[in-house]
Amino acid sequence: MRVPPGVSSEDFSAALQQFEEAVGKEWVFTSDEDLAMYRDAYSPFWGEPDELVASAAVASDGVEQVQKVVRIANAHKIPIYPISTGKNLGYGGSAPVYSGSVVLDLKRMNRIIEVNERNACCLVEPGVSYFDLYRYIQEKGIKLWVDVPDPGWGSPVGNSLDRGGGYLLKQFRNHFDSHCGMEVVLANGEVIRTGMGALPGSQTWQQYKSGFGPWIDGIFSQSNFGVVTKMGFWMLPAPDSYLVGTVTVPHYNDLIPLIDILGYLENTGCTNGMPFFGSPLLARGPLGEGGPVPDAELTALLDRDQGPDPDAMDAYAAKKGIPHWNCTVSFYGGPKANQGNWEFAQEKFSAIPGAKFSFGGAYKLPLAPDVQAKFNLPEFGIPSLQMFSIGARSDTNPTPGNGHIWFSPIIPRTGEAVFEANRVFRQAAKELGLPFPPFSLPTCYWERAFIFLFGFPITHDVETNKKNRAAFKRLVAMAAEHGWGEYRTAPAYQAAVMNTYSFNNHALLHLHETLKDAVDPNGILSAGRYGIWPKHLREGAQA
Amino acid sequence: MASRREFLQVGIAALALPISASAALSPRAAPLESAPDATPLYKVIFDERFAQSIAFGARAQSLGLPVYSIRGDITDLWFHDLDAQWKMSPIAIGGLTAPGALFCLERLAWDHGMRVVFRGDHRFLPGGSIEHTFTGPESVVHRAAGLHDNAENWTASVATLVAHIPTVRSATAKATVRTRAAASAGRASEDLISWVIAPVAGARIIRKA
Repeated sequence: MRVPPGVSSEDFSAALQQFEEAVGKEWVFTSDEDLAMYRDAYSPFWGEPDELVASAAVASDGVEQVQKVVRIANAHKIPIYPISTGKNLGYGGSAPVYSGSVVLDLKRMNRIIEVNERNACCLVEPGVSYFDLYRYIQEKGIKLWVDVPDPGWGSPVGNSLDRGGGYLLKQFRNHFDSHCGMEVVLANGEVIRTGMGALPGSQTWQQYKSGFGPWIDGIFSQSNFGVVTKMGFWMLPAPDSYLVGTVTVPHYNDLIPLIDILGYLENTGCTNGMPFFGSPLLARGPLGEGGPVPDAELTALLDRDQGPDPDAMDAYAAKKGIPHWNCTVSFYGGPKANQGNWEFAQEKFSAIPGAKFSFGGAYKLPLAPDVQAKFNLPEFGIPSLQMFSIGARSDTNPTPGNGHIWFSPIIPRTGEAVFEANRVFRQAAKELGLPFPPFSLPTCYWERAFIFLFGFPITHDVETNKKNRAAFKRLVAMAAEHGWGEYRTAPAYQAAVMNTYSFNNHALLHLHETLKDAVDPNGILSAGRYGIWPKHLREGAQA
Repeated sequence: MASRREFLQVGIAALALPISASAALSPRAAPLESAPDATPLYKVIFDERFAQSIAFGARAQSLGLPVYSIRGDITDLWFHDLDAQWKMSPIAIGGLTAPGALFCLERLAWDHGMRVVFRGDHRFLPGGSIEHTFTGPESVVHRAAGLHDNAENWTASVATLVAHIPTVRSATAKATVRTRAAASAGRASEDLISWVIAPVAGARIIRKA
């Protein structure tokens, strides 16, 4: 039997027996076969001694059982690691950061407590998946959309607490921002409710976020200060129609005004759907899929140390008759409003000489089944697993791996920043022997910043993974040197990333540690998550 | 027996996972020949993008098994069918697909006490041969040694293997065989996986209706 580090066999056996009494014997898992289910499928340490693994798993059925489990863990100083649906692939999956911890599996807590159509909000438990919530809405004919990530098999609670993102209107795409109220079990077993949930009898728990006093919710995201057992979310009332259009601009430097004008249109509420940037000339997806394969001339232009020369790029594009950039914008709402906003957007984008427009269509919602195939379903609140077919071998992806980890720094929302990021990361990729697309365009999950996504392949080859781990850490450091920080990362890199948020001699981490010592003095909850180690593990802490 | 096949490795792993045979056979499936103890398959999945997988599906259908086609994406299959079915009663499925489909289905099945009980990795090698590595019940893996090096038959043979996974298994074995790929393989050769996911007695079940 695997025993958590720092715990005696006797203590662990006693704790397991008490876990069984708390949740039922059938819900405590210790066999190697069952624990294999909690391995991180995308672990960068796959098959190595340092691979993060669980010593046991306990599946609780409700907040009272969570309280019991937490109290038992505290009494015996057993490290536990709560997960919701365990599908956080690319960012650690269901494996504990502190290897040997007991996974607290919250999948049985799959109740949809309320969906309030009138106020467009819901309250769910952590084991509810996006598919579960979508099915509930469909079966009951509720005219609300949930903002889903891609893939959609994770949970709203899990995804938002890790600060994941989606595809609908900007106030919903940031999943943590769109939450409203939570219930949390603390390390001492006490239950709190945040926001208006702290006022008994309140009917605004999922309507007004901050309640009274310090807005405490944020400390439970990307952290280890409590076990979230309920969470509320704002949802989108089903829009009437959808319109999509694309603006294409010819010149290399046109990216700068293109982004600035988009920012104006988004921030004034003109375009409310998720914009997508593309390049008919250059770009491929974050996993290297799609897009044109550059010829030798283009590769030489892109490989210039100072970054591409705009005049040379324009001459190449003119010779090929291919414009440099496009941006697809979309509108959800009434059909007349959408059309009016699209016309206004074209008017604004026309400030860029040579800008051309193509109308992608106006569609009544919900989309008819035969039309759905044309679209990326998450943009319509429909969860999907389609992205798992992207990794298949193809002409542009001849050596598919066994998953990926996202390198995902936040960069400023400007064309200049996009150019600079490409210059820096292209050089870095060459130095580190990594593949890099001809040009990488940012993703617009967040409304005021860009995220630059680069898929790092995971293999089952130990030497390749070792090399890639070193390369990833080097990229994290290089990004930080330019003021670009990761927004989220897998456990293997959480301490390294936190180390880059070093203002004033790592004052932020020190604050996190102060909070940790106060709310979880025995350090039982998710030790090491996001670089926050409990006191007894900080002295001689793991890297 | 075919010539020019190469039997590279046989290993006997440790013990057995007895398959639970509690699920009922699909009413549309005809009884399988000489397979009284075969794991009943609710659906056999094939991927329309690959000629080999289409041939596998055709063979499965000729064996009386209900087939379901995908184009890489298992979302509809799972959301509109398997999710509800497995909550009521976990039941085995099989297929020959690209890795992504199995990756998803395997993980979705875990929470219903189901595991991959048979797997064949079919790697298209440079030079036109295919390396097949089978892991599963010893009797099935030994039968896999009978794969012919006629490329048009390997998919049919694999379909027959998938259709005859015993409900009660002994030791797990692993074996590798090579065959030659057909000249007309359809779109660019893709590594495919044949598989059966089935309920396993004693395996953890987290999600129920």
